[in-house]
Amino acid sequence: MTASIGSTVTATAGKDGAARSRRGADLIVKSNLLLVFLALCVVASLLAPQFLTGRNIANLLQQSSLTGIVAIGMTMVVLTAGIDLSVGSVAAFGGMTIALLMAAGVPVVPAILVSVAAGAVFGAFMGGLSAYLSLPSFMTTLAGLTAVRGLTYLLTDGKPAEASGSEAFQLLGGGFIGYVPIVGIIFVAITVLAAVVLRGTTFGEYVYAVGSNKEAARLSGLPVRGLITTVFAVSGALAALAGVLLTSRLTVGQPTAFNGLELDAIAAVVLGGTNLFGGRGGVFGTFVAVLLLSVLRNLCNLLGLGSFFQMVVTGLILLVALVLNMLIERRGARA
Amino acid sequence: MTERLRMTGIVKRFPGTVALDGVELSVLPGEVHCLLGENGAGKSTLMKILAGSYQPDEGTILLDGRPFRPATPHAGLAAGIAVIYQELDLLPDLTVAQNLLLGRAPRLGPFVRRGRRARLAREALDRVGAAFPVTARVRDLPIAAQQLTAIAKALTADARVIVMDEPSATLSESELRAVFDVIRSLTAEGRSVIFISHRMEEVMEIGDRATVLRDGRTAGVYDLASTGRDEIVAAMIGEARELVGATGRPAPEGEPLLSVERVHVPGLIDVRGIDVRPGEVVGLAGLGGAGRTTLLRALFGDLKAQVTARLDGRPLKVPGPASAVRAGLALVPESRKEQGLMLGLSVSRNAAISALGRPPWLLPGRLGRRITEPALASLGVKAAGPAQPVGQLSGGNQQKVVLAKWITRGGIRVLLLDEPTRGLDVGAKADLYRQVRHLADQGVAVLLASSELNELTANADRIQVLYEGRNVACFDPRVSPESVIAHTVITGATP
Repeated sequence: MTASIGSTVTATAGKDGAARSRRGADLIVKSNLLLVFLALCVVASLLAPQFLTGRNIANLLQQSSLTGIVAIGMTMVVLTAGIDLSVGSVAAFGGMTIALLMAAGVPVVPAILVSVAAGAVFGAFMGGLSAYLSLPSFMTTLAGLTAVRGLTYLLTDGKPAEASGSEAFQLLGGGFIGYVPIVGIIFVAITVLAAVVLRGTTFGEYVYAVGSNKEAARLSGLPVRGLITTVFAVSGALAALAGVLLTSRLTVGQPTAFNGLELDAIAAVVLGGTNLFGGRGGVFGTFVAVLLLSVLRNLCNLLGLGSFFQMVVTGLILLVALVLNMLIERRGARA
Repeated sequence: MTERLRMTGIVKRFPGTVALDGVELSVLPGEVHCLLGENGAGKSTLMKILAGSYQPDEGTILLDGRPFRPATPHAGLAAGIAVIYQELDLLPDLTVAQNLLLGRAPRLGPFVRRGRRARLAREALDRVGAAFPVTARVRDLPIAAQQLTAIAKALTADARVIVMDEPSATLSESELRAVFDVIRSLTAEGRSVIFISHRMEEVMEIGDRATVLRDGRTAGVYDLASTGRDEIVAAMIGEARELVGATGRPAPEGEPLLSVERVHVPGLIDVRGIDVRPGEVVGLAGLGGAGRTTLLRALFGDLKAQVTARLDGRPLKVPGPASAVRAGLALVPESRKEQGLMLGLSVSRNAAISALGRPPWLLPGRLGRRITEPALASLGVKAAGPAQPVGQLSGGNQQKVVLAKWITRGGIRVLLLDEPTRGLDVGAKADLYRQVRHLADQGVAVLLASSELNELTANADRIQVLYEGRNVACFDPRVSPESVIAHTVITGATP
C-alpha cells in the first residue's frame, strides 16, 4: 500500500474549507427562513399593534396547525420524491367519519382511531399502487383526490354531519391551555416526533436514501416499496387527524372542508426548503414555513387587505423563496 | 504545419481548489491527440473550457491561429469544437435525424423540412459507416450505434476539432474497431481528434501524440510512435506503481461456497455450472451483451430469472435484492452513480445504509459514523470527512464507498462485482483490486465481471467466458495466455 492510500479518511485543507462553507450555506438556508419569519413578525407588530396580542397569536397558531399537521406528512412524502395530492379529500373524509361515528354513539377514542386509520388505509392504498406498480404518485393521488372527495360526499349525500360529541372531544380541536391552543401543541408534538423519526431512526434514514436514489436503495437491499407505502399511510393518517381536529372545533363535519389543502401543504414544504425531487430537506423548515405563511395571511387580514391580495402575496413569497434557495444551493454545489 | 489548436497557460480555479494550473495543449490538423491523466488530473475541466462550458481564469486559446474564447457550448460548436461526452448527450426519445440536427434543422419559415433533414442525417450517418435508419429512436439503438450517432452529430456541425471523452468505456471490442475506423477517416480529412481514454492499448493504437496531465499541469507531450507505454504510464501516475494486482498465489481449494447450477433468462442468458469457492475470484469475461450483467443481476434477484443455485450447500432463493442481501450476497453494480450511491447524501450515510436493517433501530447520526469508520478507514477512502456528500468524491473513492457499504453491513458471503473499475484511473484500479483480494482472503467468494481482459487475467483465479448468453469456456489465467482467452471471448470458439 502506498502512503497516500493507506491512511484513514483524510481531511485536506481545501476540501475541509469547502465542506465548512457548504455547512455554512446549509445553515443560511435554514436560518434564512427563520430570519425572514422573525423579520416578518417584527414588521407585523409595527404595522398592526393587534398582531402581538395573545389572542391573535393563539388564533394564528390554531389556524395554521391543521395545515401544519398535514404539511408534516407531506414533507415525508416529498422526501421520498413522491407527492400526495389527496390530503384535502382524505382530511375531509376523516372529519366526516368522526362526525358520523360520534353521532352514532361511538366513544371518542375508538372513533378517532377509526377515522385516522381510514386515512392511513387510503394513503397506503395510493402509495402502494405507486410503489408496487411503479406509477407516479402524482397520478395515483390525483385519482384519490377525486375519488375520496366523492366518497366523502356520498357519506351524507353532501350534507354536513352534526358531531353530537362530548365536551372533551370539542376541547381537542377548540380548547386552549392558557393562550396555547391544544391543536398547536399537537402540531408541535407531531413535528418533533417526525423530526426524531427522520433524523434518529433507520426508517428516517431509509426515507432520505429512497428519495436520494431509489435504484441504489433497492440494490442496497432496502425495502423500498414497503417504505413508500408506509410514508403515504402516515401522510393519509395525519390528513385524517387534521379532519378530526376540524370537526372537533366546529362540532360539525363538513364534506366540503379542506378544498385545496394539498396546495397549501406543498407550498409550505417547498418554502421550507425540502427538495421536490426528494432526499433533501426536513420538517423543521416546513414548521417555520407554515407559521410564516399564516403570519403573512394574518397580517393581510389585520391590515384589511382582501384575500385576493393575500393570494398574490403568497405566490410572490413562494417564488422569492424558491429563487433564493436555488441560488444558495448553486453556491453550495460549486464549493 | 500550423497548429489547429493551442491552449496556453490555462488556469481554472474552483472555490478551495485549483483544477488547472497553467496547462499547455497543442493539437495539429489531422492528428489523433490523446489526452491522458489519472482521474482528477484536469482532463474534463480542460475539455469543458475548450467546449465553452467553463471560462478559464487565465490563459489563451488559439484556434487555427486566431484567438478563441467560447462563452457557451453553442458558441464552441459554432466555431468547430464538438465534444462527445462519455454520457452521450443525445435525447433518447427523439429520432436519430432529430438529434443530428437539433437546433439546426433545415426550415421553411416555421416548418421543419423533414425530407431535407432526413437526407442530411443520412449523409452524416453514411460518412461514419452507420447502416441504421435515421428514423430510429436513439433509445432503441445499441450503445455503439448511439456513439456513432454522436460522432455523426459532430460531423453535421462541420467540427474541426472533435473531442471524444472515453468513447471505449461502453463499447465492445468489435464496436470499438468501427469507431476507430471512423476516427481514421476523420483525420484523413484533416480534422483533429482529441481522444481521452484510460486504456493504454487503445491509446497506443489510435493516437499520434499524447499530452499527459498530472495534478492540473502538463506533465509531458509524447510522440506515441517512439515512446514506450511504461514511460507514459509513469508520467501519468508520477511514480512507478504496478499496473494491476498480480495473481501471485495458488488457487483456493475446497468445496464451492456458491454453486450455480443454472441461471436461465429466456432470450437472454442460459448459464450452467459456475462454482465459486471461498476466497476465490472467478472472472466473467465476454463482449458487451454477452450476459455478464444479466447473470449478476439474476443472481442478486434484480430481474425475473430461473435460478438454480446453492449457497453453502443450501438452495439459494432470491426473489428480490433485499432477500439476496439477507442471504449474504452483495452487489457492486455497473453504474455506481445511478445504482450504487445516494450522491446527495454523505459518505457515512451511504456506507451505513445497508447495515441499518437490523436492531438497534434507533440511529443517532454519530452511531452511523462510528459503525462505518472501520470500513472507510481500512479501504482508505479519501474525503474531506464523513459528512462530505459522496457525489463530490472521485470515481475511485466513490467505488470504495460502495464496497464500504457492504463491509459495514458485514456477513458478506458472495461479492458480485459488475465492471467495478469503469472510469477509474490506473492507481485507483490497483487499489480497488487489492481491497477485493483482501475480502476474498477473508473467505468471501467473488464473481468479477469485467470487459478489461487484462484485469481479469491479473486478478481472477479462474475466468468463465460468456458468449451470447452462454458460458462457453473456463480458463486458468496462470496457464492460458491472454491471447487465447481473448480469442474465445471474441469468437465464442473453444481452443
